[in-house]
Amino acid sequence: MNITEAKRILLLYRPGTADAEDPQIAEALALAKMEPELARWLEVHCARQYVIGDKFRQITVPAGLKEQIISEQAAADKTRFWRPKYALAMMAALVLLLGLLALFWLPKPVQDDTLVIYQKQMVDVALRGYGMDLTTTDPEKIRSHLAQNSAPANYALTAALQQTAVAGCAIEGWQNAKVSMICFRTGKPLPPGTQSDLWLFVVDRANLAVSTISETPQFSKVNRLTTAMWAKGDKIYLLGSEGDEQTIRQYL
Amino acid sequence: MPEDMKFESLVERYYAPLYQFAFSLTRVEADACDLTQQTFTIWAMKGHQLRDDSKVKTWLFTTLHREFLNSRRRQTRFPHLDLDAAAAELPVVSPAAINRLDTTRVLEMLGQVDEIFQAPVALFYLQDYSYNEMAEILGVPLGTVKSRLARGIGQLQQMLARDITAGQPPTNL
Repeated sequence: MNITEAKRILLLYRPGTADAEDPQIAEALALAKMEPELARWLEVHCARQYVIGDKFRQITVPAGLKEQIISEQAAADKTRFWRPKYALAMMAALVLLLGLLALFWLPKPVQDDTLVIYQKQMVDVALRGYGMDLTTTDPEKIRSHLAQNSAPANYALTAALQQTAVAGCAIEGWQNAKVSMICFRTGKPLPPGTQSDLWLFVVDRANLAVSTISETPQFSKVNRLTTAMWAKGDKIYLLGSEGDEQTIRQYL
Repeated sequence: MPEDMKFESLVERYYAPLYQFAFSLTRVEADACDLTQQTFTIWAMKGHQLRDDSKVKTWLFTTLHREFLNSRRRQTRFPHLDLDAAAAELPVVSPAAINRLDTTRVLEMLGQVDEIFQAPVALFYLQDYSYNEMAEILGVPLGTVKSRLARGIGQLQQMLARDITAGQPPTNL
């Protein structure tokens, strides 16, 4: 490095800064220690740079600028909520809130509890005691008796029920409609005073005004009985017995 | 958000150096105030996107410089003198003579330096910025910063020398 090159490099040198860590500047500074001419140039150059730099650092900041920046930003924050995108967000939030309120306040659809009442009423019949209209172990006599009395008779028995012994039948009422009650005996010991321990209630679908009922048996516990309820064709079936769901399942 | 990253804290720390940089570029107090204010407004809107807290200073200066360039594109260029592109030999002008100039005059001279050199020269003389920081603020490679600095400083010192020489009383009457 010669003196001319060193001057070119030292043109960017600012005393007292990290500039001296730059390898080229460090080399040029080292040369200045050995070259009196370069050292004199550097001394004047540094003084000149300092004076010029001082002029920049003397730039005075207007009074109140800091406060103005902060206060204007605070004002902008307040008005930001009225800018289109924030207004849109607020409207969306309002719509959501109104939606939630509507869900809360609007009249809820009335739960169709017709099935529940029907179930409960039929279970009560089975548990309270009943008088069979016909006592017989012949399924066909039961069907015939029911048909003769205008009760549902063309019901479809599951394969398991077809193999289960019948004890008789009764005709129950449901809102001016007839419900066929077929009484079975599972073969388990019967409690004293009882004649059956498995009951199938059949009603015409048209007489049980429910919106939907599944063709897949739905299980529930009503009082002491476990029940299964399903629809098939134009009939609705309710099968009940003491025991758990598994007990009922074996007759479906 | 850390305490030192809160809006008021950042304003407290950086508004003065930002203003000095802005004034070095615009030489108009109102414009420098606007630039400083605008820089912090942009920070308030976009600053949260900055993941590295250590880059805040550079981010602010970069934003200010970008805003300055954007505003200059909408304005008439300041008139400036044509000077030699490369100042191979700097004029001999004494520090004392420069010291007699006031800041306004020095900044007027800076305003006559090629525009592309003004920002690096201002950052250079404000002294708070390493070459790497200048490169980041200006968005150019380190070598480009050094090159622009060398030419900008050369032009400024030529301008100062001419101004000082022109203001001296004639020696041969």
